This record gives sequence, structure tokens and C-alpha cells, in this order.
Amino acid sequence: MTALEAVSVYLPPVRTPIESLAGPLGLTGMQVRLFRRFHGLRAVGRDPDTSLSGLLLKAAAGLDALRGQEHRVRYVLYARAMPVVAPYPVNPLHEVCSALGLGHALALTVTQQSCASGLLAIDMAGRLLAADPDAADGPDDQAGPLALVLAGEKAFTHDAQVFADTTFFGEGASACLVSAFGVRDRLLAYASSVRGDFDSATGENDARLQREYRPLLAEVMLRALAEADLTLDDIRIILPHNVNMVTWQRMCTLLKFPHERVLLDNIPDTGHVFCADLFVNYQTACERGLLQPGDRYLAAAVGAGGGATFAAMVFEH
Amino acid sequence: MATPETGVDAEFRRSVADTLTTTLARLLDRPEPVTEDMRLMEELGLSSTLALELLLECEDRLEILIDVERMDQDQMKTVGDLAVFVAGNSRPS
Repeated sequence: MTALEAVSVYLPPVRTPIESLAGPLGLTGMQVRLFRRFHGLRAVGRDPDTSLSGLLLKAAAGLDALRGQEHRVRYVLYARAMPVVAPYPVNPLHEVCSALGLGHALALTVTQQSCASGLLAIDMAGRLLAADPDAADGPDDQAGPLALVLAGEKAFTHDAQVFADTTFFGEGASACLVSAFGVRDRLLAYASSVRGDFDSATGENDARLQREYRPLLAEVMLRALAEADLTLDDIRIILPHNVNMVTWQRMCTLLKFPHERVLLDNIPDTGHVFCADLFVNYQTACERGLLQPGDRYLAAAVGAGGGATFAAMVFEH
Repeated sequence: MATPETGVDAEFRRSVADTLTTTLARLLDRPEPVTEDMRLMEELGLSSTLALELLLECEDRLEILIDVERMDQDQMKTVGDLAVFVAGNSRPS
């Protein structure tokens, strides 16, 4: 069963208040006030001295479980919200693989589901590993192949900094080792809904997306739970995507789930760290002792842009 | 005085409704008056973003803080529904 073996996160130590980003982004005073008052966003990480590959390497540097196990890594999947992040022939993913001694691994980028691509990358990593000719025999096999899932981006254009009165993106990165038969943080279920009809190119679907966003996200969360043969009552915490506070406060109302058990702590000063939100919030949950062995938790993400993807995963810690 | 069916102060609710209708007419750039029985989304085309701007202006004018996390959009079809919610789910700022 697909499992998260180890997670490491890098967030820039310096946070930039959203007010100082408003001018260059052309935001009005009212928009900034809305972001603060209702979306609960105060600041985001910016690391002007670190490149994209630098961000990913800083995350991977904290992945102690990778040391000495590089030869076992067969796949490196880079989950990315933005379709293009570097001018040809620059390839940050290949730079990172080379620097980590993973030049032998099959490296690919998963970007088609925007910010929901992080969950897709975990699912793909597990399926690639399970289908690998040298797949591990079971959890006791300590020599089986591994996958490295990377996430995180630079907020380098207008669209990569702020999303339509909804969220501010924050720079940061995550690195996660995935195995096919691990015993901890086992993936119990994955559900997603890919909705190409919410294409944002013309803007004509934006109002409908706003109306249907929460019910559609709730639907995949409940579907993932049903696939795991669980209900919300079995869930210790929800690890959300860090889109904003008000969306999740309303999600809690819709799901009748206590908002104290949704990890919203990172939203105000970290913002939406592209596809890395799940890993950022996972690390916070572990640091704060919010997950005990055997606890089940739910992760959720929405990718919006050229269409919309709603995704959820159920894990057992 | 609180109305028996909602427990909301009637005078405060009236003042919230007045603020909502005048602010909505301005935000929507609507020459005709907005009335309490108008449906927010279907009739006025209010988006989520504009709804938050409306609430923020309401907070400013009435010097209150609204508990938006308690909002259930499905139960707020009309301007009047929203006025009842704001009057019953806010506190002095």
C-alpha cells in the first residue's frame, strides 16, 4: 500500500506582508482588506536569493531518510501548479536530480491538475512503484524501490503570486519519499474529480465555480472516505489546501466538521504554497503532536486554472 | 426589541438591511433600488467576492465584526435573509 516514508519542508525564514505586494500586483486597498479580514492572509514567503531548484534542494536537504538510499529511488515526480517555470533549456527538475545523486531515476513533472497535482503525484508514485519489476515484497522488504515527490514553486509572475481575489501564493518547497508497501502514513484512499468545464480562459465559468466549489470538494472528500470505509467521525484532522480561511470555515459548516480539527494555522503567514500545502501542513501536524499512530486524516486540494480538479486522500498515520 | 421568531433586535436588523440595500445598489451600479425580497445570486448576480466586499462595507458602516464562518449560503437566498444573519451573528468592533 502506498505510503509516505518521510517528509521534509522548506519555507523561507522571511515573510512579506501582503500590503507590500499590493502595489506591484495592482491590487486595490479594498482587495487587500478582504484578503486580511476574511481570507485571513497576512503574509507569504518570498526568497529572492533562492532559485526554484534551490528551493527544492533546501527541502530535500532535510530528508534524512534519503541519505544512503539514493540508489533505491526509481522515480522523481515534481508536482507543480504552473505549467511553465523556466526558459528552455533550463530544467530545474533535472538540476535537482543531478545534485541529489538521482540522475539514474526517471524524472517527470505532474502539472495537469494545477494545485491538486501534489495528491496526483503521490498516487502516481505509488502506482509506478507497485508496478515496478523490482517492487518490494511487502513492508518488511527494506530494499524495495522508492519515489521522491517534490513540490513547491517560485512566485515569479502575477498569476503565480495572487489568484483572483482568492489567495496569495507563497514560496516554499517539500520533498517526500514514497514507498509502495510502507507501514506509516499509509494511503487508504484517493478520490478526484477533474472538471474541464470550469475552464477559466473566458471567465464565463467563474461564478459557477464559486458556487459549486465547496460542494464539489466536499463530494470528493466524502467519496475518499467511503472508499476507505470510513466516515468523518473517524478522521482526527483535515489537512487542507491553504487557499484561505473563509473557504475552509464554510467547508466546516458544510461538512459539519469542527474547524478546530482543520489545520488552518499556516494560512495567515505562509499562504498557498502551490502543491506543497499538504506536506507543509503534515509537518506542522507532526511537530505539534496532532497525529498519533493509527490516526486517520484527510487531505484535500483544489487545482483551478485551465479547468478545475477537486481531490482528496485518506491516510493512516 | 428582539423579534420572537429570530431573537434578533428588530431595530438593528432594520439598520443592517438599510445598509445592505444601499451598499448593494452602489456595488452593483444599479440605478433601481435594491429591496429586501430580492434574491442575492439569482436576481442580483452577487458573486462570493462581491458578497465579502458587501460584508466588509457593512462592518465599516455599522462598526461591527461579522462571524462569516457561520454563514450558510444555502439558507441566505434574499437580502432580508442576509440582514437577519448579520444582525444575529455580529458583535461591536
